[in-house]
Amino acid sequence: MTADPGEAAISSRAPYGDAESLFRAAYDDLVRAAYALLGNHADTEDAVQNGFHKLMLAWTRVGGLPTAGEQRAYLIKIVVNEALQILRYPYRKWERLGVAAGERGVPRESVDESVQAREDLRLVWKVISEFPETRREVVSLHAAGFEYEEIAARLNIKISTVRSHISYARQQLSGWRRATGRGRGNE
Amino acid sequence: MSNGISAGGPEDVLDWLHARGKQRSSAVPEFDVERTISRARAARDAGAVDFWSVLSPTERRAFESAADRRTFPAGTALMREGAPAGEVMVIVDGWTKVCLEEDGRDRIIAERGPGDLVGEGATIPGNVRSASVIALGTVQALVMTTADYAAFVSEHPGVPDLVEKQTYDRRTDRPGPVLPDA
Repeated sequence: MTADPGEAAISSRAPYGDAESLFRAAYDDLVRAAYALLGNHADTEDAVQNGFHKLMLAWTRVGGLPTAGEQRAYLIKIVVNEALQILRYPYRKWERLGVAAGERGVPRESVDESVQAREDLRLVWKVISEFPETRREVVSLHAAGFEYEEIAARLNIKISTVRSHISYARQQLSGWRRATGRGRGNE
Repeated sequence: MSNGISAGGPEDVLDWLHARGKQRSSAVPEFDVERTISRARAARDAGAVDFWSVLSPTERRAFESAADRRTFPAGTALMREGAPAGEVMVIVDGWTKVCLEEDGRDRIIAERGPGDLVGEGATIPGNVRSASVIALGTVQALVMTTADYAAFVSEHPGVPDLVEKQTYDRRTDRPGPVLPDA
């Protein structure tokens, strides 16, 4: 969980020359973030795979970014947003395709939450995915278990920016919970 | 914790999510970067999402007049992995799954439906299909030979760029773009 000692240096390192090198270097980190958010193998793979697909399509732009740190921030944002889409509309894709979970060859991990809790959580992700872009990415990485300095390094922003986004998000979410009564038990 | 956020759940959702994320990331299962890369490449080669919506009315008419309209019954292949790639298709109606054979099993790597272009990898001469595209129900598609598609693209030079942009922005029900802050 401690930040990689090389992490600080990457922000100023020369950019990667192709999408695959960038993706390979960031892979473990992307997988860790996506898995922490999604909690199962199949969805994590979808999020990371779609992230690489989009990275290839956006390479004209990403390849032109001045540092490796900015390129990695771009990529992690793509993957975080892919994960948010899945959290917001879980199973939509496979339901529409009428595909049984078994056909994908990957067992769905058991979900340890009640139906009501899962629905509440889905609504929380909906609120988070409607935050302005940097805020929703900061909040998502925080929800993935990263500490403030780790988030700052990954998104190529200041720690104080991370802190203030988290603080705003906290206020927005507790306001939303007060307004909807979600997650307040029998109060 | 197992009760999630309802029924007397935690005061602060963010703290709860953070703790859960930390716990999950301490036990991340194994993922294979090679497999992820090959799937993503195959999905890209399988074509572009929402191709039709980025064409102008003139471009649509030109595409339709150069293409054949064909019907694929449920379960049939619009294209097969490993087969020579001679055609591109735009799905008019119905849904398909894009599959790769891995370890003797079909793995679904993407879905393509109305308005999507499939088989764009065919535009590289001598290419073979990188994935299979199978009709889930009855599928109607506009089918065009690679040669006719190349002619269509050269007559409408804006098309490939539009396809890329549209594909990148696909499935964005989200309010803002994925792009970093300007």
